[in-house]
Amino acid sequence: DQAEQFLRSGHTNNWAVLVCTSRFWFNYRHVANTLSVYRSVKRLGIPDSHIVLMLADDMACNPRNPKPATVFSHKNMELNVYGDDVEVDYRSYEVTVENFLRVLTGRIPPSTPRSKRLLSDDRSNILIYMTGHGGNGFLKFQDSEEITNVELADAFEQMWQKRRYNELLFIIDTCQGASMYERFYSPNIMALASSQVGEDSLSHQPDLGIGVHLMDRYTFYVLEFLEEIHPASQTNMNDLFQVCPKSLCVSTPGHRTDLFERDPQSVLITDFFGSVRKVEITAGALPLQRRAPAPESRFPEEELATEPLKYAEQLPVAQIIHQKPKQKDWHPPGGFILGLWALIIMVFFKTYGIKHMKHVF
Amino acid sequence: MAAPLVLVVLAAVTVRAALYRSSLAAFIAERVEVASPLNAWKRVVEGLALLDLGVSPYSGAVFHETPLIIYLFHFLIEYAELVFMITDVLTAVALYLAIQDFNKVVFKKQKLLIELDKYAPDVAELIQTPMEMHYIPLKVALFYLLNPYTVMSCVAKSTCAINNSVIAFFILATIKGSAFLSAVFLALATYQSLYPLTLFAPALLYLLQRQFIPIKLKSKSFWLYTMQYASLYLCSLVVIICLSFFLLNSWDFIPSVYGFILSVPDLTPNIGLFWYFFAEMFEHFSLFFVCVFQINVFFYTIPLAIKLKEHPVFFLFVQLAIISIFKSYPTVGDVALYMALLPVWSHLYRFLRNIFILSCVLIFCSFLFPVLWHLWIYAGSANSNFYYAITLTFNIGQILLVSDYFYAFLRREYYLTHGLHLTRQDGTEAMLVLK
Repeated sequence: DQAEQFLRSGHTNNWAVLVCTSRFWFNYRHVANTLSVYRSVKRLGIPDSHIVLMLADDMACNPRNPKPATVFSHKNMELNVYGDDVEVDYRSYEVTVENFLRVLTGRIPPSTPRSKRLLSDDRSNILIYMTGHGGNGFLKFQDSEEITNVELADAFEQMWQKRRYNELLFIIDTCQGASMYERFYSPNIMALASSQVGEDSLSHQPDLGIGVHLMDRYTFYVLEFLEEIHPASQTNMNDLFQVCPKSLCVSTPGHRTDLFERDPQSVLITDFFGSVRKVEITAGALPLQRRAPAPESRFPEEELATEPLKYAEQLPVAQIIHQKPKQKDWHPPGGFILGLWALIIMVFFKTYGIKHMKHVF
Repeated sequence: MAAPLVLVVLAAVTVRAALYRSSLAAFIAERVEVASPLNAWKRVVEGLALLDLGVSPYSGAVFHETPLIIYLFHFLIEYAELVFMITDVLTAVALYLAIQDFNKVVFKKQKLLIELDKYAPDVAELIQTPMEMHYIPLKVALFYLLNPYTVMSCVAKSTCAINNSVIAFFILATIKGSAFLSAVFLALATYQSLYPLTLFAPALLYLLQRQFIPIKLKSKSFWLYTMQYASLYLCSLVVIICLSFFLLNSWDFIPSVYGFILSVPDLTPNIGLFWYFFAEMFEHFSLFFVCVFQINVFFYTIPLAIKLKEHPVFFLFVQLAIISIFKSYPTVGDVALYMALLPVWSHLYRFLRNIFILSCVLIFCSFLFPVLWHLWIYAGSANSNFYYAITLTFNIGQILLVSDYFYAFLRREYYLTHGLHLTRQDGTEAMLVLK
């Protein structure tokens, strides 16, 4: 049983990519959603270096925020999800479809700092959480562009082919969110969405002090669920699927597990939301081997009898500096010159009269 | 009058030589107001280098000069500075001689009209005297040679100077009365840049006037002379174009030169009106607007010909101004050419209404061009709208200048025939308005 638990999930590290795609003050709840998941994920052990947090707008320091430097997720300001140690990696206008896809696929310019990269490998479990305004088959970024479900599926396929994940959990909280995971075709992806195609995801509670809706229903109940999880809990994915039934959420949350190899019953919440290290304690000593000798060269080189070239003699300097300027190769054709000068002489004589001809000849 | 002219020429040559040797030459050579894609020196050198490498210079959109320029500079490229200085001097001398002859014509005509009693009795102060007309040719040469626009154009080695000299020789030939030479030079000017085609009308009108052929549409001699002149012009144009074919044995130069002038593909900013419009226009409409803009250049010829048929040289001046404002790639060299002719109409000074504002506008815009270019391209705190605003203002200044001179000219003509003190029917003083 212990061995089975040990071999349960083949991941060795955890990553999280949390994306909020909406800007403007009235989309406060999307930033609160993302920050709630960020808070849970960090609390359960994933460090900031393994979290890529993309927030499309700054709600904590928004001039319309009556409580600056805070982002609340419960009404009556019970829970401030912003705090002192929030590390936003992609902020404001950097949250674009292009940047998101580059983060996922790893095709990032060399100058990007480490905090903005998803440096996952084939033993990484990645949690991808996206929230914002969406529709049937797309998610809107920043009010100016969209990412389609096809693009997302292709990005995940790229990740699979580049071995950038071991298992991937995709959660989306938008209207018609289930349409975003319809097109996935890569293995080891489990997806959850807050509403089916044709349904809208609704927000939870407005706060009269702040003046906007603070959270979306689905994420609110997910956050409530996650608050009970601690790094050693054995809660599995089936419990997560039950979060937010239709009676509480008004929309019908959906999930997709057909691409996932393991049974969701055996997948722990902390496999994705936490960073639980597997530690093997041994009693004996492990011998370290001496370094192997250098392999023999397989191809014996033939010695060519050449003089070693001195540095100064690499270019034939004498030849270069005494080079004559290249002769111009092109000359106007003879016919042209003849024609032109004949015309000029004809014009000259036409204007000044034939009588000058005898002075020429 | 030769000595002052020689002095002016020497001064101009000194100024140009000094500027060539200074560091300003490189700076001026790359300014877009002076060098356009049609006449930049860099492109001439590039084209000739391509030719040395065995490639046609018209392949690729770098070189837009005519084959005769290739021929000219193939042998003279090491002496380019001298060539441009000599070109400027030749232009100035040609304009000098032309205006000298024109003054004689004007004076003769004036005398004839006085004797025929065509003038009203009280216009003595409007009549031009030989005394004041004596220095006009020198002023014309001075205006051309020492105009900062011309100097900058010469220092930048823009082939606009060559275009200007061909047009100046055309003006000289027309005023001297030689239809053949005038047709040949007009064909050369049209061959160089397409727009001098519109100068056909004023030249024709002047030559008809000189031959004393009345301009009536039913008159047979009018049509005969027109046909003669037109056929001379067209034949020489065809001969020059066919000759250019034999330089490189290809017709490549026609789309590269004339296609380029007409279809305006290169939208580098310049002091003209085309670039901004076409930079922001949808592809769908660009053909229509190219046609509209190009027709704008040729459009004013016929109405002006009808209005100014008695005064073809003024018509020539206005037409030159219209070409340099509305052509597809204007540079300050084109502006300099018609500004050189302004002293010829200095007697209109008392009728000009806005000359102070317009000269201020033109001077300020000339100074603001490099400032806003720097702000746009280098500092990044302005954008193309700022530069285009200055372009628009400059062109509006030019248009208002031309129309002001037009108004002054017509007003003077009216006063000459109707007297200086105009009265309405009831005897009160009347004002002349240009409708």
